[in-house]
Amino acid sequence: MPAIFPRWTNKIPLALGVLGPLAGVGLVLFVWVYFSPSFTDVGYRPEQPVPFSHKLHAGEMGLDCRYCHNTVERAAHAAIPPAATCMNCHSQVKIDSPKLAPVRRSYNTGEPVPWVRVHQLPDFAYFDHSPHIAAGVGCASCHGRIDTMTVVAMDQPLSMGWCLDCHRNPEPHLRPLDQVTNMSWGDSETEDTMIDALRKLAGTSAPAETAGEQQTYNYREDPERTRLPEPPVACSGCHR
Amino acid sequence: MKLRSSLLTAVGSTALAAGCQGNPFPDPPVHIIQNMDFQQRYEAQERNDLFEDGRAMRRPVEGTVARGEVHLKENDHLYRGRGPDGRLVDALPSNIVDSAALLARGEERFNIYCSPCHDKAATGHGIATTRGGGFQVQPASLHQDRLRAMPLGYFFDVITNGKGTMLSYAAQIPAEDRWAIAAWVRTLQTHGKTKGWDETTGMTTVAAAEPAAENGAQKDG
Ligand code: HEC
Ligand code: HEC
Ligand code: HEC
Ligand code: HEC
Ligand code: HEC
Ligand code: HEC
Repeated sequence: MPAIFPRWTNKIPLALGVLGPLAGVGLVLFVWVYFSPSFTDVGYRPEQPVPFSHKLHAGEMGLDCRYCHNTVERAAHAAIPPAATCMNCHSQVKIDSPKLAPVRRSYNTGEPVPWVRVHQLPDFAYFDHSPHIAAGVGCASCHGRIDTMTVVAMDQPLSMGWCLDCHRNPEPHLRPLDQVTNMSWGDSETEDTMIDALRKLAGTSAPAETAGEQQTYNYREDPERTRLPEPPVACSGCHR
Repeated sequence: MKLRSSLLTAVGSTALAAGCQGNPFPDPPVHIIQNMDFQQRYEAQERNDLFEDGRAMRRPVEGTVARGEVHLKENDHLYRGRGPDGRLVDALPSNIVDSAALLARGEERFNIYCSPCHDKAATGHGIATTRGGGFQVQPASLHQDRLRAMPLGYFFDVITNGKGTMLSYAAQIPAEDRWAIAAWVRTLQTHGKTKGWDETTGMTTVAAAEPAAENGAQKDG
């Protein structure tokens, strides 16, 4: 009588025993890497209705972030500027530029310019810009080098783990209070990407001008600070 | 062999996909739990199609007074830079003190909001006026004799209401900061084009000493 289970079936338990855990680990790793905001969100760069360039305005012309995002120090929300802010200058320069047509229309009719939102936390998380700015966390720590972006892209994952990484140890991200909008202060702060690391090995990375200052900055001894920052790590700090 | 090659492809494609991390992409990131991420409320500057202009934030009714600006009507000095006689004043409002802190604030705010056009020394050659074909009307140098003679309230008034081709900055700068800027403009005028002041001298109201100020105030008042 032939065997009900052919001989090769003897290997099934072994295969299951070995491959099963492997597949499990693989699945976990897969979700870990591909479902995490640093994979799904970083790099989100929607097309905007007006080809407004931070590289030109904030980088080359050196406009301070607060010229346009003027509520950032006072409010939770960093306001996207109304057309009137653009018209301060664009009633004088590039007055007929077709690229600026939506801005002029908005200024004349009151219709908003339909900017596309880039950074967005889920509604169940609470975020407020003003205490971060008051504590001396630079825009660059959370938004990257905006002054080099022609079109704004997300530079950081804005995930809960990312918030907590800083909240548990804010020290390396703190800077003098008047340097918050300075994009190039302590350039070395941002985490090294692989390319940066390679460049460093090859010795071709440009030394950051103010890197030295950043290393010596001790926020505990800064007379400008009236209190030491205490970022919340309890759930209710951000889920209220 | 087959196993090995398929393993290789798996590892290879994983590495490739992982390499995509951080590359720019134009489509919105995936939100799996939609109703938690986008709850039934609106945030600042969010879109709401219920209204014709698509703004969830409604414009305040004409004549609305912001919270905190309670004494708007009474406090002509703070909010309009004018005295009881309706003329531009040459002093800071009573709740703002001439101090090193005020001038530091004024300097910072001036550099943010004014220096793009007027430059940090207020000579009128800011970077924005040199680019893209230049401004049609060059910003004024704030060191002209005419402007040196103006009362402090005049600068507050220009920031608040604009002047000529310069538009109003009232929406961008709160009233207290406008006074700080006015004080800094005066400091630049009296102490030269560079920051020649020290913290003990503070802002000096030149106009107070010169009778010309009165005329200037009358002309514009
Ligand atoms: C001339 C005005 C102007 C200046 C100066 C400016 N911005 Fe912006 N910013 C805008 C406008 C307009 C948008 C919306 C369009 C866009 O996303 O490009 C924007 C968008 C952004 C966004 C994305 C907002 C979102 O939708 O999530 C960030 C982040 C940002 N700016 C940061 C900065 C920082 C940091 C600086 C200072 C280095 C700065 N901006 C300076 C006008 C300005
Ligand atoms: C401080 C003055 C200033 C402000 C404020 C400003 N811009 Fe500009 N912008 C300029 C100048 C100057 C140029 C020309 C630069 C050049 O060509 O070198 C320019 C160029 C541009 C251009 C390219 C135009 C073309 O035809 O090449 C666009 C688009 C633009 N700005 C959009 C905006 C928007 C949108 C805002 C408001 C959020 C804004 N700008 C606010 C000064 C300003
Ligand atoms: C601690 C991190 C952090 C810092 C520092 C920070 N931002 Fe943001 N920013 C965020 C987050 C998170 C969001 C998304 C907020 C949301 O969805 O409610 C955001 C959103 C924005 C937006 C879009 C509008 C909004 O408020 O949702 C702008 C514009 C902006 N930031 C500009 C700035 C500027 C300019 C600075 C520096 C003065 C700055 N940010 C500093 C984390 C930061
Ligand atoms: C780069 C550092 C950094 C990152 C990233 C960061 N924070 Fe903070 N956060 C701080 C610091 C520093 C404080 C403390 C402010 C203080 O105590 O003055 C703070 C305070 C807060 C507070 C308390 C504010 C208050 O009203 O007292 C909240 C809420 C908060 N952060 C939410 C967030 C959320 C949500 C994120 C992620 C989207 C985030 N933060 C990311 C540095 C950071
Ligand atoms: C520093 C601010 C902060 C603190 C503290 C915090 N969270 Fe969060 N949490 C966030 C942010 C921001 C998000 C949204 C992350 C995203 O968009 O992926 C989030 C998301 C979540 C989610 C949804 C997860 C998901 O992937 O959608 C849960 C559940 C959660 N938090 C639980 C907690 C609990 C439990 C605690 C206390 C142990 C806590 N959080 C403390 C900021 C915080
Ligand atoms: C977008 C560029 C721009 C910015 C920013 C700007 N100005 Fe002006 N300003 C001008 C121009 C242009 C003129 C000349 C107006 C004219 O004569 O038509 C001017 C004129 C003036 C005058 C002289 C008015 C007179 O009587 O001739 C004063 C005072 C002044 N600005 C103050 C300021 C202050 C203070 C700030 C900062 C809050 C500021 N400006 C920001 C462009 C600007």
